[in-house]
Amino acid sequence: MNLRMVGRLILKDWYLERWVILGSLVAGAATLAWITLGGKLAWLMGIIVMVTILIAIGAQLAMASLVSERKDHTLAFVMSLPISYREYTASKILGNLLIFLVPWLLLVVGSFAVVLSSRTQPHGLLPYVAIMAVEILVSTCFVAATALVTESQALTIAAILLGNLALNGVGYWVAHLPAIATGMDGALVAWTPTAYGLLLGEFGLIVLMLGTTFFLQSRKRDFL
Amino acid sequence: MNDLAVQFTGVSKRYKHFALDNVNLTLPTVSIMGFIGANGAGKSTTIRILMGLVHQDAGDVNVLGHAMPDEQAQAKLDIGYVSEDMRLYEHATLGWHMDFLRPMFPRWSQSYAEKLAVRFDLKVDQKIKGLSHGQRVKAALLLALARKPRLLVLDEPTTGLDPVARAEVLGELMAVLAEEDRTILFSSHNTVDVEQIADQITFIDRGRIIDSEDKETFLDRWRRLRLMTPHDEVIPKLPGIVNVGGSGRLPVLTTNCFEPAMVSAYQERGVTVQAVESMTLEEIFLANVQNQREAKTA
Repeated sequence: MNLRMVGRLILKDWYLERWVILGSLVAGAATLAWITLGGKLAWLMGIIVMVTILIAIGAQLAMASLVSERKDHTLAFVMSLPISYREYTASKILGNLLIFLVPWLLLVVGSFAVVLSSRTQPHGLLPYVAIMAVEILVSTCFVAATALVTESQALTIAAILLGNLALNGVGYWVAHLPAIATGMDGALVAWTPTAYGLLLGEFGLIVLMLGTTFFLQSRKRDFL
Repeated sequence: MNDLAVQFTGVSKRYKHFALDNVNLTLPTVSIMGFIGANGAGKSTTIRILMGLVHQDAGDVNVLGHAMPDEQAQAKLDIGYVSEDMRLYEHATLGWHMDFLRPMFPRWSQSYAEKLAVRFDLKVDQKIKGLSHGQRVKAALLLALARKPRLLVLDEPTTGLDPVARAEVLGELMAVLAEEDRTILFSSHNTVDVEQIADQITFIDRGRIIDSEDKETFLDRWRRLRLMTPHDEVIPKLPGIVNVGGSGRLPVLTTNCFEPAMVSAYQERGVTVQAVESMTLEEIFLANVQNQREAKTA
């Protein structure tokens, strides 16, 4: 695989999505500031806004850099470059992931900092925040994989809806797991085996989805 | 060194409602091939297979010494490709596209790209979304030509252009092509465009290559004979006559292997040869397609 070429394609997507990245950073920073300055309502609303921002960025990236590439006929231009479809797939997966990780990391690290510095929020909330943050990453990877494999706007929208529903479902389920729920209101952070297991499972799911995407892409015979 | 830029051997590709059937095609280096076919004849599928963008079900494809689709990345280093359905990034400028491509192609010539921008009347700092369709085609051509490709593949580049823009694009293209020896595959359903540029002609119809020859040979061997018979009788069909039209005592024959001896052969049978007419590439294409379709259904 020509990694230099993959890098150039990623930089191309970074350039084309630069306003999304910048906008998400500004919106994320503003939300974090709002949470820090406000009370309990600001905390609750801020979390909802942050999750919404991350879901919106994941959806926007999938639609703009994956589905639109075919819809806008720029795929023919990209595929006229000295690359194979394997390199194209790698650039799209890595590019989307890296772009998403910028606001994701900002918001996750910011949320951790807010929780740890807060006198009102219990520190025991951190494992739950971490599990849900990685769940958003899982959901984004699922949307990106669907967009890349199907190249269908309708199926990608369906994946966004499904990912969103799953996020709510997982959030409810994890919050009611005894091993997680009991520590959530505590003053100390309790990294239980259940919390580690869930995080490991989520990362495993990401690896599995991305691997399956590469496999399915490698079996494609028609790219235009 | 292989003197064939493109070689298709027994290439087939099957879709639900269309099949490319046993395509054999060769494009010698330093030649310009016009690839002519009606809409849906298989031109774009053939070209996509050539570019490695669609994988053939059977057969071998070799482009510039590279087996396709496996070695497409290496092959595409030497190919400039422009297709009717190719678009550039609307929110980026032409200059950004040039900067994006420059490090990818070892033979990229920035000075040539800038020269072409002036010649094509394009502003490098203008966003693609602000360009007309004709200007967008010229921008795509610029980006393909500045790579200094050994093979230029143009898949219906003038489709959708108004007559003025089409003439302008073709004019610029011909002027640029006159400067250097290039190997070009130019596909179109517009025979007038192809006739201006190509020195080799290949016809494709319903997924099959039906004829392939150099342009002059095509134009030389296809003729229309206007005859007058003394009586209302059936004209003897000499070898090479592919179509008999006209009516009554004024038949019109079309041949795909004209020889002056054909005229004397008819005259010896008491038939008056009123005219031997050259045919345009479009007329040749239509006669060829009709002849092949009739032969297939017979």
